Amino acid sequence: MSKRFGGIAALDGVDLQVQPGEIVGLLGPNGAGKSTLFNVICGYLKPDGGGISLDGEDVGHLLPYERVAAGLGRTFQHVRLFRNLTVYENLVVAQHRHLSGGSFSAMLRLPAWRRDERRARERVEAMLDVVNLRPWRDRYPTQLSYGTLRFLELASVLSLEPRVLLLDEPASGIAQKEVEALGPLLTRVRDEQGCALVLIEHDMRLLLSVSERVYALDFGAVIAEGTPDEVVSNDRVLESYLGRTRRAG
Amino acid sequence: MAVAVDAPPRNPEAEPRAPSATEGSGRRTRLIGLGLLGLLALLPIPFGDFGFFAGQYALVYAMLGLSVTVVTGYAGLISLMPYSFAGIGAMITGLAMASWGWPFWLAILLGALATIPFSVLVGVASIRLKGLYLAIATLTMANALGETFFQWGDVTGGNTGWLISRPRVGPIDFASDRMFYGLCLAVVLLLLWMVEGLRTSRTGRAMLAVRDNELEAQALGINVYKTKLVALVIGGMIAAIGGGFLAALLLNPTPSAFRPPFAEVTSILLITLVSIGGIDRALGAFFGAIALVIQQQVFQGAEFFFAFFGIYTGFTVILFLMFRPGGLIQIGKLQLALIRERPVLGIAVTVAIVGLNVGIAWLVLSLS
Repeated sequence: MSKRFGGIAALDGVDLQVQPGEIVGLLGPNGAGKSTLFNVICGYLKPDGGGISLDGEDVGHLLPYERVAAGLGRTFQHVRLFRNLTVYENLVVAQHRHLSGGSFSAMLRLPAWRRDERRARERVEAMLDVVNLRPWRDRYPTQLSYGTLRFLELASVLSLEPRVLLLDEPASGIAQKEVEALGPLLTRVRDEQGCALVLIEHDMRLLLSVSERVYALDFGAVIAEGTPDEVVSNDRVLESYLGRTRRAG
Repeated sequence: MAVAVDAPPRNPEAEPRAPSATEGSGRRTRLIGLGLLGLLALLPIPFGDFGFFAGQYALVYAMLGLSVTVVTGYAGLISLMPYSFAGIGAMITGLAMASWGWPFWLAILLGALATIPFSVLVGVASIRLKGLYLAIATLTMANALGETFFQWGDVTGGNTGWLISRPRVGPIDFASDRMFYGLCLAVVLLLLWMVEGLRTSRTGRAMLAVRDNELEAQALGINVYKTKLVALVIGGMIAAIGGGFLAALLLNPTPSAFRPPFAEVTSILLITLVSIGGIDRALGAFFGAIALVIQQQVFQGAEFFFAFFGIYTGFTVILFLMFRPGGLIQIGKLQLALIRERPVLGIAVTVAIVGLNVGIAWLVLSLS
């Protein structure tokens, strides 16, 4: 996978493999190309080389919303939500791909619409409990803390039932207590939904505790890959990311 | 509209529930809204024939306004073409009735279908253009339509337009203003019910999502362009239905009303009235249309002040957008909440607001 912006190689031959149900961590300094990689995977940016396949099926030619249907879900570095809709309504919008009714059946309140709405309601009510958002059910995003918004965004993307879920710094800007709740939640999500997780995270404790495999990126290339322990003890990773110089001799 | 609260309250159950956008209002609020609607529908009666004559216009404006509700209120696309679409509906209805002898209902259906290619054209433009740029593009398209479609003699009947009659269903003749008012009211209620239903559906919610945040909508698997296109097509068809009723109301629809600058000015007026009523709820178009026609009649009665009508509506819409973006519907909901909390004060304020408006209208009328 490669991506160039002008003369700068933002991604240079990155090869990322994720097994079903696996939790993979991505680490690297700012500008290493982690978010660019997500944007290319999800179809927001066109790669200059390489391809993306999901369960052996090529998804590289699909538009972002089509990749969601193919099973790719993502969250953004800065929370993206519908600010004029309540928590509940945000989650109903996220049921889009599980519903099938057309506008005509809704305008005439046909049984297809009724079935759709019942299905959406049940799914949202269940999701509210998974991420503990029930107390904020009828609140607007502007009335909630940043951490709660993170959980709402996560709940939205989980509602898609993705096969691979890409999380861009889910713990940034949220309270320590919420970070501690995030780790077990991610593991539980993986266990219950069976989806693979790819995690960009600067909170090393969270990243290393939930990831089964870690890739380290720098200057758009993978500089190390392996178990969390292997990667954090890798010399090049220490140098580029953790900022320690190589021991002399 | 939402109040920012830093920390979530300990007991959210005790807090008043904020009005919800897609779920629809509570049963009681809805009943009050319907009651108000019924009351307003009876408004022409004390004014006799004149009341029904003006009332027909209000109801046709409400139909046209509902197209703005879908396109601009739900999907957030600022299109300055609703009245051009109404014109297509009016002209095609006239053509089918006057030259081909089609019945009114079939003609109006054809008018609605005829807008689809034009909606698709706007849809293609909306792929690249957003906000103000789309508004300018649609303004240009409205101009272009005025110089092409509405100059096309075979379709528009030339400068004299078409002569048509009002519909008749079995033994019921809707030729009189009173009967036609009743027919329009039934159609407005039907369209209102449909547009409100659209809101709580997969497609309608996708529209609200696209209006709020296109990128996030895409990330949730929503096809943004298709959603916009559906909104434009539905809005165009509703506008054309309104246009068909406008044709039957006028009895002699002429194309000159849909050429520049009248088409653009009226389209802006439609957006204005829907903003005043409440742009993202179906009832807003109804309340806004009635408010507009009442204002129009008051100003028209007050000859001297008539010149100020444009300035007045302009100011009103600015004040609404600044302080009550939810329009009359928002004011109504706030009043209801106040009445529920402090009944005496709430009722007093509501009576004062209504009284003030009636008083100003009376003053303006008696001064001239």
